[in-house]
Amino acid sequence: MPGGIADIQPTNAMFVVISFEGPDRYSRAGGLGERVTELTDALATQGFTTHLIFVGDPALPGREERLDGRLILHRWCQWISKYYPEGVYAGEDAKLYDLNDSLPHYFFHEIARPAVAAGKLVIVLAEEWHTAEVLCRISDALYYGGIRHRAILLWNANNVFSFHRVNWGRLSFVSALLTVSKYMKHVMWGLGVNPLVVPNGVPERFFEPPDPAGVARLRQAFEGNLLLFKIGRFDPDKRWIMAVEAVARLKERGARPKFIIRGGIEPHGGEVLGHARGRGLRVQDVWLPDGAGVDREIEAVIAAQEADVINIKSFVSEEFKRTCYAAADATLANSGHEPFGIVGLEAMASGGVTFVGATGEDYAISFENSIVVETDDPEEIVGYIYFLSDHPRVVERVRASARETARRFTWNDVIENLLGKLRYLAVVQGVHA
Amino acid sequence: MAEYLAIYCVAHQPRRVKLPAQPIPRGASPEDIERCLFDERMNERYFRKVAQWCYYPATEMWLRLLDRGMSLSLGFSLSLIRQMQRWDPALLQLFQRLVAHPRCELVAVEPYHSFLMFIDLPYFGQRMREACEELERLFGKRPVVADTTEMAMSDPICDTLRRAGFRAGMLDGRPWVLEWRESTHLYHHGGLKLLPRHFELSDDVGYRFSNRQWPGYPLMAPTYAHWLREAWGDLVFLAWDYETFGEHHSRDTGIFEFMEHLPDELQKRGITCLTVGGAVEQFWDRSYELPLGPFASTWAGSGGMEFFLGNSAQQALFQLMLAAYNKAKLTGDPKLLDLALWLIQSDNLHLIQWYGRAGSEAEVSAYFTPQEWWALGPHGIIWEQQCVYRNFIAALEPYV
Repeated sequence: MPGGIADIQPTNAMFVVISFEGPDRYSRAGGLGERVTELTDALATQGFTTHLIFVGDPALPGREERLDGRLILHRWCQWISKYYPEGVYAGEDAKLYDLNDSLPHYFFHEIARPAVAAGKLVIVLAEEWHTAEVLCRISDALYYGGIRHRAILLWNANNVFSFHRVNWGRLSFVSALLTVSKYMKHVMWGLGVNPLVVPNGVPERFFEPPDPAGVARLRQAFEGNLLLFKIGRFDPDKRWIMAVEAVARLKERGARPKFIIRGGIEPHGGEVLGHARGRGLRVQDVWLPDGAGVDREIEAVIAAQEADVINIKSFVSEEFKRTCYAAADATLANSGHEPFGIVGLEAMASGGVTFVGATGEDYAISFENSIVVETDDPEEIVGYIYFLSDHPRVVERVRASARETARRFTWNDVIENLLGKLRYLAVVQGVHA
Repeated sequence: MAEYLAIYCVAHQPRRVKLPAQPIPRGASPEDIERCLFDERMNERYFRKVAQWCYYPATEMWLRLLDRGMSLSLGFSLSLIRQMQRWDPALLQLFQRLVAHPRCELVAVEPYHSFLMFIDLPYFGQRMREACEELERLFGKRPVVADTTEMAMSDPICDTLRRAGFRAGMLDGRPWVLEWRESTHLYHHGGLKLLPRHFELSDDVGYRFSNRQWPGYPLMAPTYAHWLREAWGDLVFLAWDYETFGEHHSRDTGIFEFMEHLPDELQKRGITCLTVGGAVEQFWDRSYELPLGPFASTWAGSGGMEFFLGNSAQQALFQLMLAAYNKAKLTGDPKLLDLALWLIQSDNLHLIQWYGRAGSEAEVSAYFTPQEWWALGPHGIIWEQQCVYRNFIAALEPYV
């Protein structure tokens, strides 16, 4: 048939996504967990049988079916995770070994072979450096099992973490490389590989406005203040110190900023908060009540409104996050190195004014749908904030345009982009009926 | 001229460690430590291969040979028995049929094919007694003769076997052990009868049979029977790996045909076959004193322990074995001690004898190194093997 394979449909293809992170709270450390959760959910919702293999919560079932059995979760490494309750990346080496060692055999016998026998094409999407080796072994298993020609193997880089551990020659021989932005593509050119770009997405539900009452309550509580929000790992790449320094300068100049932050467990957090205190900002740690609803979360933050920096130390719900995006005068996603910037896109989808960095955020157009911060100079943030406060119509335009832009990046759009590339990749990988 | 012949075979498969070393989660249970240490998928693969090419055809062959007047003494490591129980119970039943034959005798060997006798003699003695009990339960015969791992023998080992209740032991009949004595007699040391293996005649079949460069190639049954009959002394004691038949020498070398012709050739020359226990009884009153020293002899390599401890990698690994065993003992946990006993399996030293060496012994050692490991490179194998032990020792910490 022209193009090598038939159009990829739920009736003739299935997806297998392999990732360290996943939908369990145990398995969430950054954007990857969110990405694979939403992507697999969207694939299954479109009708594709989708397997998600991830390092799951040891207390939950090893196998779980969702969405009428179309989404099958495989919680891998549970026997190791039970020794590491801290989360997905604790005991990383032990988990990595186990994934490489045990998954290919299972994948071949329990997933790939039955699917191929049922006439389906198997599309494997492996995420991040952790899965590079296992994908090579899966390719070997498929090859020796005589069904390599019925599988398309994809490997996606969401970041540059541990690129030095990846055997690029081998990986690019067995799979098609993908990444999430043009910036990452350019970075990877330096490694002698040329990945295709398939961006990240946002879930459709992000376009439902957050509860207006919650947004209003938060705005009202911080009336007369400049409300800023930042969420992400405490990583120097996220330019936390730049953000904190900008807040300190705004305070010095009488802008009365209130900075709600949610970092991670990373040691850089100590440096960030130390800088804040050193610049005279009052920092207060806050723990949000778990599972008690967004109103209680808002309440807990409001209770700390005397502080300049409200440092959330606990899990934040998606609803609370979206409320903050919408209520804040600005969300600071001002990374210095951002492969894609999922926080930026989520904030834009929620109608937020989003300050993004100038690396992987292909979707950002400054002062049109977001504010692009191009240096590590805190004064740049301060200057743009004063500009926006003087130009409310720009703010309105940015908020409206942000939502429009984000709409072009729903997971369904991403899947369409991916499916569009698969026919080409099938030919490259010698896939045939 | 020797009128009697005793043949002994030991059947064994190692429990190979997992390379590259698998990190052991902190606080791991003994069961989870175990799954990190051993490569059971690889062990099963090798076991099934050897079962197909050796254990099944060789056992069928021996059943026929015993019916035709030959005798066989047979040792099993529990290492192999555990693998049969797990992966091929039908094979174990076939072996049970062989052992049940009146002309087959069961010999006790160190259960895990370990070097426990160099680390903890009293416990070695206890383990040998326990092995007898398990073998008796499985095969319905109780061994009275003992072999040790790699046929290691020394004065302390000899004393331990005697105190464990055995009537006889074995050793390799090397000149440096026997000095002016012939290997074709029964000996004793400190109350334990000793059968010296005729290493030249044994190795003619065990090692050289398929070697086309060997002047004796091709070895035929009449020639070999003639050599056996011409040996000066009371009896010839031959000892081989059971895997000689079909594994070390593949079927196409003619090893099975050679053996099938042997009973008639032995009979023609008036050679009587005995089990090792039968030989001990036959010559009980005609045994000779054999002085043994503290340095152990072995049937491997040149006959000394340098085959296992002769290079720096082996010496380092043996130190790790000592640390692993002793730390496991400190925990007082029987399951952890059992894991340490697996880790002191001699094969782990055997298969790195090639490190920094060349020649026929190194080739034998490299042959036993799993081919899957060579992707790591020689240094990688040594490093990862050590990591297995280091990981285990670290994993014991919460239990001490």
